[in-house]
Amino acid sequence: MKQKQSRPGETGFSRRGFLKGVGGAVGAAAVVSRVLEAPGLARADEITREGIRRVPAEGLEITLHVNGEERPVTVRPDQTLLEVLREQLGLTGTKEICDRGACGGCTVLLDGRSINSCLMLAVDAAGHEVRTVEGLVQDGRLDPVQQAFVDSDACQCGYCIPGFVVRSRALLDEFPNATPQQIRDGLAGNICRCAAYARIFEAVQTAAAGGNG
Amino acid sequence: MTWRPDNRLALENDGSRVDVRDKVTGAARYTTDYYPEGLLWASYIRCPYGKAFLRSSKLEAARAAPGVVEVELEKQEGTYPGDRLGHICAESRQALEQGLAALALEFERDRPATDIEREKKPLETFDEDPSVQEKQADLERIFSEAAHTLERTYQTQVQTHSCLEPHNSLVDYRGDHATARQSTQATFSVRNELTEVLGLPPDKVEMHCEHVGGGFGSKFGLSPEGQLAGKLSKKHGRPVRVLMNREEEHLDNGLRPGSLQYMKLAIGPDGKLLGGRIHTWGSVGPVGGGGGTSNPSRYNFGIVAKTHQDVNLNSGFPRAMRAPGHPQGMFAVEMMMDELAEAAGMDPLEFRRLNETSDVRRAMLDVGAEQIGWHRRKPSGTWEGPLKRGFGIGVADWGNSPGEATITIHVYPNGNVEVLSGSQDIGTGFRTLLVDCVAHQLGIDRARVEAKVGVSTYPPGPGSGGSVTSRFVAPKALGAAEQARQDLRQRVAREWGVPADEVAAENGVFKHADRTMSWNEACKLIGQDRLTVTEKENGIFWKEQTGSEAVQFVEVEVDVETGIVRVKKVVALQNVGQAVNRKTVENQITGGVIQWISFALFEDRILNRQTGAMVNPNLEFYKIAGSRDIPEIVPIIWQSRPDAGVNSLGEPPVVPTPGAVGCAVANAIGVPVRRMPITPWRVLSALAERDGGAV
Repeated sequence: MKQKQSRPGETGFSRRGFLKGVGGAVGAAAVVSRVLEAPGLARADEITREGIRRVPAEGLEITLHVNGEERPVTVRPDQTLLEVLREQLGLTGTKEICDRGACGGCTVLLDGRSINSCLMLAVDAAGHEVRTVEGLVQDGRLDPVQQAFVDSDACQCGYCIPGFVVRSRALLDEFPNATPQQIRDGLAGNICRCAAYARIFEAVQTAAAGGNG
Repeated sequence: MTWRPDNRLALENDGSRVDVRDKVTGAARYTTDYYPEGLLWASYIRCPYGKAFLRSSKLEAARAAPGVVEVELEKQEGTYPGDRLGHICAESRQALEQGLAALALEFERDRPATDIEREKKPLETFDEDPSVQEKQADLERIFSEAAHTLERTYQTQVQTHSCLEPHNSLVDYRGDHATARQSTQATFSVRNELTEVLGLPPDKVEMHCEHVGGGFGSKFGLSPEGQLAGKLSKKHGRPVRVLMNREEEHLDNGLRPGSLQYMKLAIGPDGKLLGGRIHTWGSVGPVGGGGGTSNPSRYNFGIVAKTHQDVNLNSGFPRAMRAPGHPQGMFAVEMMMDELAEAAGMDPLEFRRLNETSDVRRAMLDVGAEQIGWHRRKPSGTWEGPLKRGFGIGVADWGNSPGEATITIHVYPNGNVEVLSGSQDIGTGFRTLLVDCVAHQLGIDRARVEAKVGVSTYPPGPGSGGSVTSRFVAPKALGAAEQARQDLRQRVAREWGVPADEVAAENGVFKHADRTMSWNEACKLIGQDRLTVTEKENGIFWKEQTGSEAVQFVEVEVDVETGIVRVKKVVALQNVGQAVNRKTVENQITGGVIQWISFALFEDRILNRQTGAMVNPNLEFYKIAGSRDIPEIVPIIWQSRPDAGVNSLGEPPVVPTPGAVGCAVANAIGVPVRRMPITPWRVLSALAERDGGAV
């Protein structure tokens, strides 16, 4: 699914190095090739010699692949994936809490890996499969992680919970039989101020033991 | 006194909170999640420094920035970081940010007051107070008779609420009416204040807060966000959003004030507290107060002369925070209790039993000691090796007076039930309480009952403060359900042609002799659109109240080479009278414990002493306990009376934790760390100081 090695000179966007720093969730080489193939994006005149592509300040029409659907959107270069998901696509389950990658409230899946959508520009998400907390529900059936959160009453105010759910999904995809320690370590990027952690750990552990969907 | 792990209602109601599915799928919509057509964004223009005068600004450049609708500066002088100097309104959030940048504010800074120790009046000043003078003779006697007298000062830091849903408001004024959404703990107070801003009667302003992303005391009243959104929506005739960013959350949306607490207490030869002198200082905003602490409290202190001073600093204003004054007060109290016990050569558990004011807590102390394994506690500082274990105790209680609320229930002919309250669910499980009370009293499955809350057109109810919501509302929910049950019973009796008092109505089934009628069949007898019942009296459902007593035992491990404190286990005993729903009660107990472990060990609002600016207005350097910091927590729902009412829960579980953690650390390392947060540096400093060195 993911190509890990980057090819120097081909990696694309000005925030490339930044994104790589966000936890290696995005294979940089894959970003470029996919983005350039994406509809509405491959405008050669906007690709500079260094491979850095300019996006017009007034916005660019791109197609985002979100929750299995193609969603055409016009995005400005300064808009984060989080903003576009919430404000243009109505996917408000993904929350903005700290707006700088410290809380995990805006976690979404990008090609199956969890990322902070507040730290990714929307233009950079083109060509990737984005899945939000809403998209974990399939044909009205909750994802096993969501069901485990329901059964364990794993929330209080609930504002952080979409982030915890999505991160837990990614964690269990990576470690299907996650140990309690792996769960604690894996959720260290998410903050729950009401501190429903005991219930959250129980839920993720149940989802892990329950065959992981 | 009986101890059972759960009680009747809680055992019946072991379901998860009724809105959990909406919360895990993203379907639950908070105030932040609405983006109406024509939305304008607004925010305050703020002073970044503690004390500063606005020297220059590029007002016209900001007004000319693309998308900016209006920029107004209303004052030049800022007296705390985040002080509101004016406002800006724009077509989008980006335009708002660009307009603010274009404003290019330049300030002339003055030296701010940032340090409570530096700004406070000296202790001696308060000895002249009449309340001290009149006890002077007693105090002199106490100190002369005392077997031991200790003089100590404890310090606690400023804690910010850090609600994850920021303070935000969305007001849509439409001339003759308005709709508002606000993240609030008090639907009706927001609605009422908004009517004044908008110049509309209460029935023309509809306030919504169906989901609220945490409040912890900081979301009462219309507040600056609602004031500005209301004012600008009325002016422009468009929906206006004011949304605080994370920095503004820390700076200007309330905090738990810091404290310095001086205690000079004496104990007699038998180990009983005789009394003494206590003075506390609280760090508050540039004007006004609100820095009080609950010290002394809970234990039988004897004769105490207590005085307090609020110390004005150039920092944000306090707002009520989950048990205002209590966790910091009880930190000093519990630490002092352990130091006194140590001086008297007594076990801290025995010392507390001796000076305890509550029989309920004395029983809880016994159970808690057994649950944590108190016998494993060693005398302070005697643990071998670099990883040292320590044990500590904290206690609390809470008042349970009655209050007003109204509940309406609709029973539909298809057997479904709605229960309505305008009060809000801020994450405590208020919806769940309503559903479980009504389902219990009607004897039907909770899936048949839906709670509708957080809208000002629903029946009036309290704001979520002082841990009152459940206690005020539960008797009315039970009473309304009981009325509906009796109404249906009469309809069934009429249908069968028998006296109503001969018809049994239990578990949702109606019976007379060998005849039975199901809930669904009975509801078909409702001869109108629905059966509506409204209850505003407590009636027979106001039961005898408890003291919402709390006792917590904490076990820590401290690495004396790194200074790192790890909480290993907490046993949290909590009397809630009648627990309504086991999972939400336990969740709130454990959450409270973790939040105040976070306060004891990590959280700290740090001000730059030169500029008064906050150094860590974010979530990476304002450290909050996370998944790696969570100990094993054993919540124990206590029952002290077999037929108690539904009592306070929100606040009491957070009160004992910091003191218990502090005592456990002192026990582990053999020297008290008298200042929170108990960071590695402070642990190492305390050890070094004891050993005659410095870190």
